Amino acid sequence: MPSPITPVVFYRDPKAALSWLEQVFGFETSMLVTDESGSVGHAEMSFGDGRIGAGGEWGSTELLGPALMKSPASLGGQGTQIIRVELASALDDHCARAEAAGAVITQRPQDQFYGSRVYRALDLEGHVWCFDQKIADLSLADMERASGLTIKTSL
Amino acid sequence: MSESPRPGMSSGVVYRDPHAALKWLEKAFGFEITMVVENEDGSIGHSEMRFGDGLIYVGREWDERHRSPANLDGVNTQSLHFNLTDGVDAHFERAVAAGAIVLREPADQFYGDRSYMVMDPEGHVWSFSQAIKAMTFDEMAKAGGRPVRDHL
Repeated sequence: MPSPITPVVFYRDPKAALSWLEQVFGFETSMLVTDESGSVGHAEMSFGDGRIGAGGEWGSTELLGPALMKSPASLGGQGTQIIRVELASALDDHCARAEAAGAVITQRPQDQFYGSRVYRALDLEGHVWCFDQKIADLSLADMERASGLTIKTSL
Repeated sequence: MSESPRPGMSSGVVYRDPHAALKWLEKAFGFEITMVVENEDGSIGHSEMRFGDGLIYVGREWDERHRSPANLDGVNTQSLHFNLTDGVDAHFERAVAAGAIVLREPADQFYGDRSYMVMDPEGHVWSFSQAIKAMTFDEMAKAGGRPVRDHL
């Protein structure tokens, strides 16, 4: 299902990141805007019907006021968001391929109480990626029973 | 009730105060809360919000890798970009009325969109855009004065 929301991910070396995301996670570059020097101004990548934006670190008071865009590689591995990618099938194969190609796996494929099988990995600059495959169609009541947690649909 | 289908890509957004964030995102941007998982102490462990077919997760700073921009002097490692079908100016007014910090007011962009950019109360950067003119990559390249292509 296509989403109206696109995560935009910032890298110190966006060109290396595009190539890494293609080789390791199987993304495809669908749009690449370069500047005079050939460096990446803005890029879009697709994976199934999902899409991300990717770009370099940027920001200045003039361009972006108090905000600043940086890679986790510039922040000792800290990040302000994670990306979740929905896989239709073969999550374990995706993980094996990513690990063989150089991804750091921080959580091995594992069934979760909410009906998904999930693995987590870090990309080349330390962004956290969570790959998720639905394995059971559960109601919120099923999830509560399985986890012992309180799950609501409002605050 | 079973979950609605999930989109291919979604973002987990980290907050110091997820409870306040859920309320603010509902009011400012028109998100709908669809799931709140509470810890035993009543704090929020995990939550989901929907915006049309879009989905985000709102969570806390649960380990040293996950930080709110409020604890990083306004630095973001990712931002969120929304495609609205219409009403980008009205959406902007609503966000500002709720206290969004304006980074860029709504303006027409060379690539055929009208868009705006704001910060939420903890410093996450959000942009909202509406297509006003369908353009090919060649037309964008000409209008922007820089090469645009569909591969690395």
